Amino acid sequence: MNRRDFLRTTAVGAAGLSLVGLPFSAEAAQSINLTILHTNDQHSRIEPFPDDGRKYGGMGGMSRRATLVEQIRKEEPNVLLLDAGDIWQGTPYFNFFNGELEFKLMSDMKYDAATLGNHDFDNGLIGLERQLPHARFPFLIANYDFSDTILKGRFQPYKVFEKQGLRIGMFGLGIELEGLVSKNNFGETVYQDPVAVAREMVQELRQQQKCHLIICLSHLGYSYQEEKIDDIKLAKQVAGIDLILGGHTHTFLELPELIRHASGHETLINQVGWSGLFLGRIDFSFNKNSKRRTDMRTALLPVNRPVTSS
Amino acid sequence: MTRYFSKSISALLLLLSLASCQRAWVASPNLETTDVPVEKTIVPDPELEARIAPYREQVTEKMAEIIGRAPVELGTADYQSPLGNFVVDLMLAQARERYEGEIDMATTTNGGLRIPIPMGYVEMGTIFELMPFENELVVLTLDGHTVKAFFDVAAEAKYAPVANATYTVKDGKAMDIRIGEEPLKLDQNYTLVTSDYLAGGGDNLSMFKNALKTEKVGLMMRDAIIEQIRELTAKGQAIGADTTMRVTVLP
Repeated sequence: MNRRDFLRTTAVGAAGLSLVGLPFSAEAAQSINLTILHTNDQHSRIEPFPDDGRKYGGMGGMSRRATLVEQIRKEEPNVLLLDAGDIWQGTPYFNFFNGELEFKLMSDMKYDAATLGNHDFDNGLIGLERQLPHARFPFLIANYDFSDTILKGRFQPYKVFEKQGLRIGMFGLGIELEGLVSKNNFGETVYQDPVAVAREMVQELRQQQKCHLIICLSHLGYSYQEEKIDDIKLAKQVAGIDLILGGHTHTFLELPELIRHASGHETLINQVGWSGLFLGRIDFSFNKNSKRRTDMRTALLPVNRPVTSS
Repeated sequence: MTRYFSKSISALLLLLSLASCQRAWVASPNLETTDVPVEKTIVPDPELEARIAPYREQVTEKMAEIIGRAPVELGTADYQSPLGNFVVDLMLAQARERYEGEIDMATTTNGGLRIPIPMGYVEMGTIFELMPFENELVVLTLDGHTVKAFFDVAAEAKYAPVANATYTVKDGKAMDIRIGEEPLKLDQNYTLVTSDYLAGGGDNLSMFKNALKTEKVGLMMRDAIIEQIRELTAKGQAIGADTTMRVTVLP
């Protein structure tokens, strides 16, 4: 089953409801809707792909994404806009302006948070430090220790967002830098085991911060055959993450992957390719009183044309 | 009445959920998800467009910047060529400036050099066309047998120019392989700078996947080329290639 069929199925469900004429809003009034919008591996794609017959030709573009985001913000009460890293590297905009414009445009779009990808180290720690003032959104990164670097204290491991009393805990995980990034560029940044760190984060966010939903912004990569940690292994090894928004492997998922931990906890994993060709969208509903995720679907269908994800 | 309604809604929703369980998403029917294509029909946000506009102009300007001059065209050819030699030599030079250890040699493949450097003034945009890929320099530590395997492919396939190495081709086989001046020793390790793409086994150079060590230089291929041309221009020198014989092909 591909994404298109899935959407069609969902559409029939929603249409079915309105046909019987049931007041959808009665139930909706008792729930809190949360809309997660996300990107990954933007790779400095400020402009759309040239419309010259190539694959994805004419698609993408940051000012178009801004229009989409703005539309959705008008329709939905609670929106979080997130990025899973590798904002940088890939077009002359990065070569010439060192990431300044990418950060400014993401700030204009009111990104709520991002994590760091390996390419965000491409101009070294100093290059990142220089551009940080242009980012009016936090970088969340829990498993890089910057204590012995010029970036000490510039990033938070996690952040708690509150929407209508709903507490959303969010943390970031980065990929091992050794071998992937030149030592000159990451300097004394210390990479820590994502699994151990994620367990601590879940504990902190669930127990201390009383979060109702836990989101991990991950630049670990979706899936590797070898032992290297990836989003799927993370979900299997760490109980309690509700949603992993991934990156690095430029994976176009037909459907988000659902992983069930041995404890029974379910983690949803999504990734939307690269270059901002797609905007990821996931809608959650919560019971207003218990703040538990409910079984109710939103009737809203944001896709007005068939999606081809291959 | 309201209670009755909400109950029946719940029941219906549950039914729908269960029904959709069968067809759609087994474990979590409470989520609806999609990714939204950022299509050309979407009108760009005017504020962001205005933000981008001056940068776009500068990109156009910078692409037209003249960074150097070539008295003759540099193109690729089998085994060794003006463009091939120029690029592998600058890869070695630029990597040596940044890498702490010794680097013995360099290689890339003709397939990665997309256009010749034209005769005359060379614009920045030309180098983006020559090297459109976001490849970066890596230093591989290889054992002698792997280096030998590389030269065997280079001799047969003809598309891999080399820096600081020479060899002779006879019947499609590499002979008399020398790194610097010294004959290749199979029991010795060598360091080679190439692109991360080739280091990953691209262009049929799968032996590079046997590298004992892979280290990033911290420099993109394109930036290395631009840097070299700028250095030449600063010294008042033109773009040109070393043309001493690196590969001798025996009939």
